[in-house]
Amino acid sequence: MTEPVATSDGTPLEGRQSGSAAGALAQGGLRQLYEEHSRAIYYLALRYLGDPQKAEDATHDVFLKAFSRLDQFRGEANLRTWLYRIAINHCRNLGQSWHSRNVHANSDDAIWENAPARTDSPLRVLETKELGQRIQKTLDALTEEYRLLLLLVADEELSYEEIGTLVGQSVDAVRGKLHRARKAFAAHFEKNP
Amino acid sequence: MKHHSKLGQKQEHIGEHKAQTEGMREFEGPEEALRFDAEQTVVPQEIERRLAESVKQIRATERRVWWRALFERK
Repeated sequence: MTEPVATSDGTPLEGRQSGSAAGALAQGGLRQLYEEHSRAIYYLALRYLGDPQKAEDATHDVFLKAFSRLDQFRGEANLRTWLYRIAINHCRNLGQSWHSRNVHANSDDAIWENAPARTDSPLRVLETKELGQRIQKTLDALTEEYRLLLLLVADEELSYEEIGTLVGQSVDAVRGKLHRARKAFAAHFEKNP
Repeated sequence: MKHHSKLGQKQEHIGEHKAQTEGMREFEGPEEALRFDAEQTVVPQEIERRLAESVKQIRATERRVWWRALFERK
């Protein structure tokens, strides 16, 4: 007997929704959806959660949810934005129980407000081999909000308006916070060679 | 053999980064560094395999529901 389909955290998918998933797969749209967006979603999950295994589970769950809710996609946003919304919600839910226990982000932005504006000069990396680890350490040191903003703005497919919608902020607020997030990132990055 | 396949899986998880060339690199800002990092990141193939399996299960569940509905009507 086949077990009910569930996401990695055990949340069952609703039967009504699963119909559209299978239907869409039959049309071959799901593979295309996955191929086009899996790297972006996996990367967001990887650097947001800081754990490859959790990122793998999250990416699986995000696409499974997306497949099952494809009929709810109204085309008001682009598909990437829609997938990011599912991914952010999913990662936040995971993060609430895990990240708060394991990562102590420096929420004292004042430190970085007074730091020299190092974003003016290029970030130097001696060996790109260790870049991933260094980026992860840097992101882990930031607040959840800054981390997410930087990860989203790094995706050139997203506009500031779309990022604002995803994080629930105005475009002006996004620009302001991004400025501070860049400074915080640069300061931490230089601090942890 | 078993050891090798397990090692391979581990490498896929831990080594999500492609082998990168060593040497000096400069980034104009965080976004550029993150973009480069994203380009180097390999999505584990395991995700696609698991997704295919999950969708297969959904289809099986659908078939079951269809048959159940038919019998309940009778």
